[in-house]
Amino acid sequence: MSSDLIKANLNLYAVLQNLEDIVRYDPEINSLAKNWDVVIQFSVRGGPKAHIAFKDEVCRVVRGTYRGPDIKLFFTSPAHCNRMFDNKGNPIPLKGFTKIGFLTKEFPKLTERLEYYLKPTDDLLKNKDYLEMNTRLTLNTALYAARELALLDPVGIARAAHIGTGVVQLRIRNGPSAYINFKNGEIEVEKGDWEKPMALMEVKNLRIANDLFNGRVDSFAAVAAGDIVVKGKIMMVESLSVLFDRIPIYLS
Amino acid sequence: MKTYTYRKSQSLFKKSTKLIPCGIYGHFSPAPNIPAVDYPFFSARAKGSHFWDVDGNEFIDYMCAYGPMVLGYNHQKVDAAALKQLKLGNCVTCAPSVMVELAEYMVALINGMEWAYFAKNGGDVTNLAIMVARTATGRKKIVMVGGGYHGVTPWMQGAGHYGVVDEDVENIIVVDWNDYGAFEKVVAEHPGEIAGFISTPYHHPAFADNELPADNYWQKVETLCRKEGIVSIIDDVRCGFRLDMRGSHMYFGFQPDLVCFCKAMGNGYPISALMGTAALKNEAAKVFYTGSYWFSAVPMAAALATLKELKKINGPKKMQDTGKKLLDGMVRIAQSYGYDLRVTGISSMPYLRITDDESMMLHQEWCAECTKRGAYFTSHHNWFISAAHTEKDVKKTLNIVEEAFKVLKKKYG
Repeated sequence: MSSDLIKANLNLYAVLQNLEDIVRYDPEINSLAKNWDVVIQFSVRGGPKAHIAFKDEVCRVVRGTYRGPDIKLFFTSPAHCNRMFDNKGNPIPLKGFTKIGFLTKEFPKLTERLEYYLKPTDDLLKNKDYLEMNTRLTLNTALYAARELALLDPVGIARAAHIGTGVVQLRIRNGPSAYINFKNGEIEVEKGDWEKPMALMEVKNLRIANDLFNGRVDSFAAVAAGDIVVKGKIMMVESLSVLFDRIPIYLS
Repeated sequence: MKTYTYRKSQSLFKKSTKLIPCGIYGHFSPAPNIPAVDYPFFSARAKGSHFWDVDGNEFIDYMCAYGPMVLGYNHQKVDAAALKQLKLGNCVTCAPSVMVELAEYMVALINGMEWAYFAKNGGDVTNLAIMVARTATGRKKIVMVGGGYHGVTPWMQGAGHYGVVDEDVENIIVVDWNDYGAFEKVVAEHPGEIAGFISTPYHHPAFADNELPADNYWQKVETLCRKEGIVSIIDDVRCGFRLDMRGSHMYFGFQPDLVCFCKAMGNGYPISALMGTAALKNEAAKVFYTGSYWFSAVPMAAALATLKELKKINGPKKMQDTGKKLLDGMVRIAQSYGYDLRVTGISSMPYLRITDDESMMLHQEWCAECTKRGAYFTSHHNWFISAAHTEKDVKKTLNIVEEAFKVLKKKYG
């Protein structure tokens, strides 16, 4: 498995899904998206495929191919796809020339917002709304990326083989939550809460969670102080942490 | 019953995290104690089967320093032997004479073993065992049991762990515990390639029920190893001297080629030993393997005193009897509150789990409730009973256990 292919999977399946929450929680984008009714297909030759569907103020990012999208964006290789995510390349539009206005004017506002939320600065993080959004997106990106790494990355595969069965819930008290479900060799990620997780990691508040995700907190001290509570089958959380630590190898 | 608080432990841990990676690293890390805020992090003193934390809380210790404490903390005879040796000399340019005395005693004690090689930790001697097996056979591959723990060097940790590269584990083959068929298959698939088979006498992984060997499992493994020229290695680091003074292989009725001891061997003084059959003595002699403190005399004197005392009082039986009394009582109390408390392993080092909740969260909560009332229980690891645990300890523990179940029942119905 080439590192370009793993990175393309992370980009399409872990980074792109954040558009859903930006449309949902960012008032400016939500207002912009009111009248959007369009499906964009992303296809990478020899790599992942995903589509983004906008309708009724809701954005859904779904794995796989959509039959009859409005716009088709093609990438000749995983590396080509990654160049676009690094702002160093453009996709090849195969369909949707009539929607070119959406692609060149409206959609970039959304992707610029994505970049804005995923590249925090100390000043930006002082804003509570920004802090919440950055934390939410980081949490979700980490979990969706963990799924890909458990399936594709050699170290991830080795760790995932022993992770067992069940749901690992990540939750920020009074904030966002998401979970990853390991089930008979299949792995699913969902936003929200699972009723009876096999393992739980709960962080006391958004600030600590943000510091944790951005490597600014001593996690051992935080666990000992009760700022982070880990319980249940904690080996699952430990294995998941190894997967999280692999993310920067592919995504800077 | 008063519940404990840990203000000083918390404060010291905060300081510790600034100075020491993880604050407290390795198996003493607070992380597996759930929730960590219900556990002490730092001890102040210890005596017999009890220890006191830096906040002054007293605990009946069911982890026994994760095994080394076997006769009781600050045991008079052991400490007297250690102190006597300290006055004579500890780390000296020549090997201490007590080393030969200890080797002689252990060779006479451990069934089938005719030499001893001393080190400090369990991992020192499991690693040495692998090197001896490879030297003796000229082969590379080692078969081990999945979930088995033999220390922390890279080959023992497995792929995907921090600091371990694929090459570290490329000669390690993993089979399931008690699956003789799997071992036989692996041997058939790698003719003339397997140097050794390493396993604990029974399966005692963390976070899972412990499993005793199936009927004839060890006898079949032993026969196949002999037929194929594979060195059989028993990692008796955890079980050693809690099952049988002659080695845990005698408890299960088989004869390995190499046996690794540590933990209970020195009642807290740092020492480990690899012991082997006569046929492997010259092979062990070829391996260059040593450490700065491996010839320190004090732990050797302490080990000699520990083993003599354990033999004198029939330590393994005493620990198993105390464990049984405690565990039977705990299971009965659990049942009376409607919980299924499952006990696995041998009663001198049992693993417990409340089966009513697969995620273990309920069990973790119960262990924490007991700990903050003075019975130090972990939820992820087998416990250890010592020869110092008394009837009074058992009685007090059962009172704590009852109250902890009462708390759970009230909370969850």
